[in-house]
Amino acid sequence: MAQRMESEPDSESEALPERRETLWLLALSPMLWMLYFLVSYATAAIWCAKVVGRDGSLEGARIAIGVYTVLTLVGIGIVTWRGFRKHSFGTATVPHDFDTPADRHRFLGFATVLLGGLSVVATLYVALAIVFIGSCT
Amino acid sequence: MMPADAQSDDDRADRARQKAQEARLSKPWVTPRGWRYWSAVNNSEVGRWYTATSFLFFLFAGVLALLMRTQLAVPENDFLSAGTYNQIFTLHGSVMMFLFGVPIFEAFSIMILPQMLGARDLPFPRLSAYGYWSFLIGGVFVCGSIFFGVAPEGGWFMYPPLTTTYQEGLGADIWLLGLSFIEVASLAAAVELIVGVLKTRPPGMRINLIPLYAWYILVVAGMILFAFPPLIAGDLLFELERAFDWPFFDPARGGDPLLWQHLFWIFGHPEVYIIFLPAIALVAMIVPTFAQRPIIGYSWIVLAAVGTGFISFGLWVHHMYTTGLPNVSLAFFSAASEAVAIPTGVQLFCFLATAVAGRFVRSVPMLFVTGALAIFVLGGLTGVMVAIAPFDFQAHDTYFVVAHLHYVLIGGMLFPVAAGLYYFYPMATGKLLAQKPGYWAFWLMFFGFNVTFLPMHLTGLLGMPRRVFTYPADIGFDVLNLTSSIGAFIFAAGVVVLVLEVVRPKTKQPYAKRNPWGAGTLEWLGEMPGKPWGIRSIPSIKGRYPLWDQPNLMQDVDAGRFYLPDAEEGKRETLITTTIDADPIQCLRVPGPTFVTLWAAIFTGGAFIFATYKWYFAAGISAVLALVTVLIWLWTGTAKIPEKRSKEAGLGVTLPLYASGSTSVGWWAMFITMIGDMSAFASLIFGYFFFWTVHEDFPPDPASGPGLFWPLIAVGLLLGAWLLTVLARCWNRHDRPMAFHVGLGLAVLLNVAGTMALLAGPYLSGLDPTRHVYPATVWVLVLWAVIHFGVGLVMQLYCIARRWAGRMSADHDIDIQNVALYWHFMAITAVLTVAVIAGFPMVA
Amino acid sequence: MDATKCPPGMRVLVSLTALSSLSGCSGPQSALQPAGVDAEQIGQLFWWMCAVAVLIWLLVIGFAVYATHINPETHDSRAARWLIIGGGAIAPPVVLGALLVFGLPLLPSLSAPAEDGLQVTVSGERWWWRVQYPTPSGGTVELANEVRLPVGERVGFSLTSPDVIHSFWIPSLGGKVDMIPGRTTRLTLEPTDVGVYRGACAEYCGTAHALMNFQVVVMEPEAFTVWLEQQAAPAQTPQSSLARRGQEAFLANGCSACHTIRGTPADGVLGPDLTHVGSRLSLGAGILPNDAEAFARWIRHTDQIKPGVNMPAFAMLPEGQLTALAAYLSGLK
Repeated sequence: MAQRMESEPDSESEALPERRETLWLLALSPMLWMLYFLVSYATAAIWCAKVVGRDGSLEGARIAIGVYTVLTLVGIGIVTWRGFRKHSFGTATVPHDFDTPADRHRFLGFATVLLGGLSVVATLYVALAIVFIGSCT
Repeated sequence: MMPADAQSDDDRADRARQKAQEARLSKPWVTPRGWRYWSAVNNSEVGRWYTATSFLFFLFAGVLALLMRTQLAVPENDFLSAGTYNQIFTLHGSVMMFLFGVPIFEAFSIMILPQMLGARDLPFPRLSAYGYWSFLIGGVFVCGSIFFGVAPEGGWFMYPPLTTTYQEGLGADIWLLGLSFIEVASLAAAVELIVGVLKTRPPGMRINLIPLYAWYILVVAGMILFAFPPLIAGDLLFELERAFDWPFFDPARGGDPLLWQHLFWIFGHPEVYIIFLPAIALVAMIVPTFAQRPIIGYSWIVLAAVGTGFISFGLWVHHMYTTGLPNVSLAFFSAASEAVAIPTGVQLFCFLATAVAGRFVRSVPMLFVTGALAIFVLGGLTGVMVAIAPFDFQAHDTYFVVAHLHYVLIGGMLFPVAAGLYYFYPMATGKLLAQKPGYWAFWLMFFGFNVTFLPMHLTGLLGMPRRVFTYPADIGFDVLNLTSSIGAFIFAAGVVVLVLEVVRPKTKQPYAKRNPWGAGTLEWLGEMPGKPWGIRSIPSIKGRYPLWDQPNLMQDVDAGRFYLPDAEEGKRETLITTTIDADPIQCLRVPGPTFVTLWAAIFTGGAFIFATYKWYFAAGISAVLALVTVLIWLWTGTAKIPEKRSKEAGLGVTLPLYASGSTSVGWWAMFITMIGDMSAFASLIFGYFFFWTVHEDFPPDPASGPGLFWPLIAVGLLLGAWLLTVLARCWNRHDRPMAFHVGLGLAVLLNVAGTMALLAGPYLSGLDPTRHVYPATVWVLVLWAVIHFGVGLVMQLYCIARRWAGRMSADHDIDIQNVALYWHFMAITAVLTVAVIAGFPMVA
Repeated sequence: MDATKCPPGMRVLVSLTALSSLSGCSGPQSALQPAGVDAEQIGQLFWWMCAVAVLIWLLVIGFAVYATHINPETHDSRAARWLIIGGGAIAPPVVLGALLVFGLPLLPSLSAPAEDGLQVTVSGERWWWRVQYPTPSGGTVELANEVRLPVGERVGFSLTSPDVIHSFWIPSLGGKVDMIPGRTTRLTLEPTDVGVYRGACAEYCGTAHALMNFQVVVMEPEAFTVWLEQQAAPAQTPQSSLARRGQEAFLANGCSACHTIRGTPADGVLGPDLTHVGSRLSLGAGILPNDAEAFARWIRHTDQIKPGVNMPAFAMLPEGQLTALAAYLSGLK
């Protein structure tokens, strides 16, 4: 293990785009997935319970959920891109374990990217449901 | 000669100074003796009690499991009657989940988290103590019921209408009220731990450096905030049906048993991860120590913890695959259930990668971790299988699922906890556990476990349903069940060996050396045995493994060269730092020993327990006493105005002794609590819209509802009360006591009037909650809101009294700050309640 | 079928799992010995998943043992990082995605409707099954605790419950579906093999949940038609004097308050229809053999045989009446 007594130059930290940072960006991708998941589930449930009935076709709901999928992927993409920008700030590489604001900044960015990746996979999985299921049965 | 002499003089002076510091520091932190010992609130005492108690509950539930396995050893056995067997399996599941699985994580965390963060204590020690006593009282109450033959027998999932209409007796009420009480304690611990992780880190421990354990605890405590409240809301509906015949789950009057299943599993599935993640957190601390290198993939593990936390809330319907929901819903939940396996896999590969990259040291904890991996991976793989709805149609409610869940929970939780026990035992007691019994315990447990549960996969696929007290001979179940029963006793023998090693008196055994495992994280900084103050001085952190990264850290800490090495004013103190970068911002005075938390828990317990027996008068008195006790606790123990504004905290840093608003820990606790509160409220609203989707005529014609007039009046008045409360906060800040008192007094009046108006809507329109589920749903929302405004009223009066008594001033305004925050949420509650009960019928 | 009919390669696994002298996958209630289209599909899915799962388990655990015990020295941490990316981030999404692509299309396939097939209504009641078949004349006929199906026909089930939640499950034919008060759920099954199977209640439904089973008989279509006609007919008049006394005892002791025997004044609807109770394969919802001795035991010790049951035990009946009653009921073929 490396000795971490010496910090990086402070000038890098001063160049950080934001002075106060929050954890929200980190959680944003999975939150988007969650929103997407719940809205899709509610759309299908209400469609089947209130619109077409128990044996009806899922067609309308499928289109709506398809649109949600695209929107969610775009949203996660933007968040992930912002995360990637934070991750590649400055010059250091992973594991982002220096005791500096810059490395903390990069760490949060990297974790955001990873969560974005997971959220994309989870979104695509959920979208498979409407690829294979065509009715409310 | 002279310089050496001078140096030794300096040394001597330095040592004398340190001695004096230590003497002063030990005074406030001294642990009470004799019967007063039970008034202790310090995290190490409470954590020890908590751990011991939840292990006792584990052993109790384990004995229940052995009784079940004895009954099922041979076909058509009559060792236990059907009724007794049903009580036993219900209690086994409930106790393992509610009294061991979740509490053991809280117990461990209360004990080790402050140490890991180099804090002297958690920010709300008395809240931990209150939570512990509540847990003890509720747990003993629930477990004790089996000895009187009145234990719940509805399964740990308590599906209505079996439990609402077809089971007389106290069992179901004991389950509902006893466990609701414990859920409240769990929420208290969650609030405590979140604030602990976010605000009590040592200076320099930025968010990218915190121990992985703390990341997991942050995620898990956050999950508790969203997972437990739906169950509490469900319990409320359930008890209203059982006690007062409000028909939420009665199909004859428009209710629907599936609503309970939704609420239960919205809790129940995240619960599995709430149990699993903290155990994996232990693994994340143990693996680097025995690989003798930093973890590989720190960010990946953070991804896994956070990702699991979110995705686990999208899985609940996979417990309801066979309830006849549309295929598309099943497909959504199948997909999410597969997705959650990804972060789980990432964590395991991070541990593997660390083990590969490091020089692996064999030890008992690591043996348990390896065994856990072997078991858990199999459980995870069968989990991936049952997540696919078509396969679950066969496997659901069979022994296949019994096998699956035990592989997940024992591999993912019990074995890591055993590893954690071996690993952290010296930290808690100063003594090491012996190696040999550890190996025996492991191999007996590992072998016994697999003999018990591996055959169950096949038992289930051969068609044996769960929760059967007997089975016929000759349809293929006999040998498999006998094997499982034999295995269960071998497994139990392993547990006994482990327990004997833990409780064996070790008075003659020498204390372990400091940091006996050569770990890199702060919890190993303490002396053996630990001192009540926890850490001699709070260090400044520069890496993820400070004991490895920072040379001489231990000596510097011991010499008091860091923060808060002294307690000049004789008070218990710890550091509060900022959320992201852990810059010190406050020196927090934490409270010391008291019996008031014990009394508060006894009275709260009384309120729940008397209600079980329908002694509502006694329950009411007990509730009032609980309220009074809590008020005494708050009045005497919180938001104390310090004798000076700030103090020198060491290393030339001067920190304020008092903080209010969003920089204070109390504000954070209130905010977090209210998030949990809102998720319970959201669950009730979900119930309303759930009935909307299942019924053609829900809500019925607006004329039969609470109308618009009274609800609109109510929302107006209540928003007025909110506005005045917020204004009162500002007037207080500007030191205008007159305006403050008049404003808050008016707020009280508006609050009372608004609450009355809210009640008037359904009351005057004659909605009878026992007639149909619609009036019941409206009433329960109103009831929920009214209780909250009642609490808001107490808070408003409390602030008025505090200011009168001079315990609150313009600069020292924690109370009104927190109450105003509470009222922000009350504004949301008022608006949503009225929008749903009065607004939705207009648009539907 | 026995273990030898499990897909090859699985035999090793099964014999490992079953430890010793077990009969592998077989059994009257086994999901691994399919006798229906749906069970067959699910069975195949299971064997595939099982094989891949075993492979993954061996890989992961083998690797862990290698890294910790066989070669515990330090390795390049850059390579270890690739382990996380390859094993944690790339492989699982691919495998799980493939599983979803194979698994999800089964859902519509399993719920494929029984277009013109037989429609059976089953109601789960504590702790027995009320079964209703449509008759050729357009009416319905009520039976209990036994389901007979024509082989090769897709059959629809309408499932419901008047009391608590039950779950209708015939592992040999397909998956289970819950019976929920206030709702009607549906299930379709398509038996492929003639034979006798066993069904069970899979959802915990109270005290005697373990004792709520039933027999499933899959028959040739012609035999099924004959059986259904026979079941739809009223009860045979008792032939022997013993049976006649049994009928008198049945009517005199209030049995008819709960039980129907079509063709007699007994028309109670709370308990199972007994018109052809003697023709069933079992008694007491799949827990006793169907003979006069079992009937006598059941009538005298009802609550001991099935704890919590609604039917009171008629322990006070004189021996003679009991024998007659048992003879009468077991003779209702």
